[in-house]
Amino acid sequence: MEQISEEIDKIEDFKNKKKRKFSKEIINNIFARDKLIIRLIFVTCCILVAYFVYYFIVWNIVVSMTDWQGLIQTNNFVGFENYLRMLDDPIFWTSLTNNLVFMLVFIPSSIVIGLFLAILLDQKIRKESVFRTIYLLPYALSFIVTAYLWQWMFIEDGVINFILDLFGLGSLKMAWISDPDIALFSVSFALVWQFSGYIMLIFLAAIRTVPQSHIMAAQIDGASGIRLYTRVIIPQIKTSTFTAFVILMIFSLKAFDFIWILTDGGPGWATTILPITVFKLAFKSNQFAYSSAIATTLFLIVMVIVIPYLYITYRKR
Amino acid sequence: MSSHEVNQTETLDVIDDLKWEKIHSSKVFRLSKIKQIIKRVILYNVLIVALIVTVIPLWSGIMSAFKTQADLSLTSPLAPPTIPTFEPFIYAWQELQQPLINSVLFTTLATIFSCLLGSICGFVLTKLKFKGSNTVFLLLTLGIFLPYQSIIIPLFITIRNLGIYDTMWAMILVHSVYGIPMTTLLFRSYYESIPESLINAAKTDGAGIMAIYRRLIFPLSPLPFVVAGVFQFTSIWNDYLFALILTGANFEPASFALSNMAGGTETAWNNTMAGTFLYSLPILLIFVVLGKYLMQGLMAGAVKG
Repeated sequence: MEQISEEIDKIEDFKNKKKRKFSKEIINNIFARDKLIIRLIFVTCCILVAYFVYYFIVWNIVVSMTDWQGLIQTNNFVGFENYLRMLDDPIFWTSLTNNLVFMLVFIPSSIVIGLFLAILLDQKIRKESVFRTIYLLPYALSFIVTAYLWQWMFIEDGVINFILDLFGLGSLKMAWISDPDIALFSVSFALVWQFSGYIMLIFLAAIRTVPQSHIMAAQIDGASGIRLYTRVIIPQIKTSTFTAFVILMIFSLKAFDFIWILTDGGPGWATTILPITVFKLAFKSNQFAYSSAIATTLFLIVMVIVIPYLYITYRKR
Repeated sequence: MSSHEVNQTETLDVIDDLKWEKIHSSKVFRLSKIKQIIKRVILYNVLIVALIVTVIPLWSGIMSAFKTQADLSLTSPLAPPTIPTFEPFIYAWQELQQPLINSVLFTTLATIFSCLLGSICGFVLTKLKFKGSNTVFLLLTLGIFLPYQSIIIPLFITIRNLGIYDTMWAMILVHSVYGIPMTTLLFRSYYESIPESLINAAKTDGAGIMAIYRRLIFPLSPLPFVVAGVFQFTSIWNDYLFALILTGANFEPASFALSNMAGGTETAWNNTMAGTFLYSLPILLIFVVLGKYLMQGLMAGAVKG
């Protein structure tokens, strides 16, 4: 940090010098002391990130304590009024509940399916890379692409209802995304489809790092098949399970694009989760200060998950 | 001495066991082999079902993109078109041509910038360590996890005040800056494996830091450049939130234009799917050609969502 401030001093010095005189000598000097250029770039990057991440967070908190409503910015300080309003607001509680329900469905399903696929692919499968690549493909696609694909799947005369009819299960046909009771589950299902390949990749890499000697030892002790996994391998990939869990958790707190395109947060408020609420309040009804209050809350929730995660990850190194 | 003996007898025991097992298994050999085959058949069936579930939405989407409006209502959503038509693609291309060019431009530039900057940051954080460099690294890394929703209002105001709202520069700036944490992470983990002695040798030869970076580190890092580049390109190309907030009618990124095209009053699914396919084309290309590197990036930075 001291060094950084030193660098900043240097930059300041340089700026002052520049103001005083801009001679060839100085330019030559800079190029001679080439350490400066690299460090200058580095410090610029740090300043940019500091500004675009940390300063913006503070700025957002400041906005959340004003009464800014409507297109013209007002800066009257109102303290925690917006946060109190949030606690009284059914929209906030609905989106928080939706978010929790979404997490409860989406996270365990993705982990279970991802782990399942990884274990299956670990059975010395022929053409393993083909399977792996295709399972991963949905994750590489943009959320708006998969959102349109799933809209096409979910609409009333769409693909899912067609397939149900095909198998004589016409009675199970549903309005997947226009029925408020099941829309959130449909959204979760589609996102599980998109993420389980990625989670599979994480687990597969982890399973491959379990030392072969442990597996052989367990096999000599008579463990095989499912028990080999539940007793030996899965306990050894705890770290990756934790990583996958955190990834999915953070994603479910910032999922926006997919739901925004697929359902718009609707029908009604059925699929509105916190990130959608933040966007809607700010850019659809111009309640900037209030939206910032919810955004700050969202940020705090994410940090409560991320900081322990980073702490645990880097303490080990 | 005694432990050695014990070990030896143990080994003998194991060998005995194995022999016994061999004799025993030859009796039940046929049965266990049939069991094995059934297991494999079930295994492959499950894998193939999962494959079909993965592919159905993509298949149906692509098929629809080649259908005429009439064909779309006549054929089943899974069936191929009766007569393939390129009309939806022609329509989508007309609508998305400029936005796609825009996206290629700013995505490429922002990818290059964020990779170069990340490479330099990674270099400084591993080879020019200073007091507190680990703290700086952690603070940078935290930026990866930032939910962008919680900074959209300050970001919007800043971009507007800079006078670059709805221009290419807004997208380049924003994506380059928010790319730095991720690329720094990727490059740092790679540069950590470059031995210090190499740097010291170059130093004793009288090379300056800039020369070390340009002549030594940079040529040594095609791999992280590809990994970070592929990762950045995909995530910038796929972005929608920034496009939605920071651009308007003047400079439309492809993602935003696609949502405008598809979100009209009357949904023509064949056009939407053709547009979706056109928009995904670069990603599909990257996935096929450079998928290996994309996986590496995803594994290394398993955090972006």
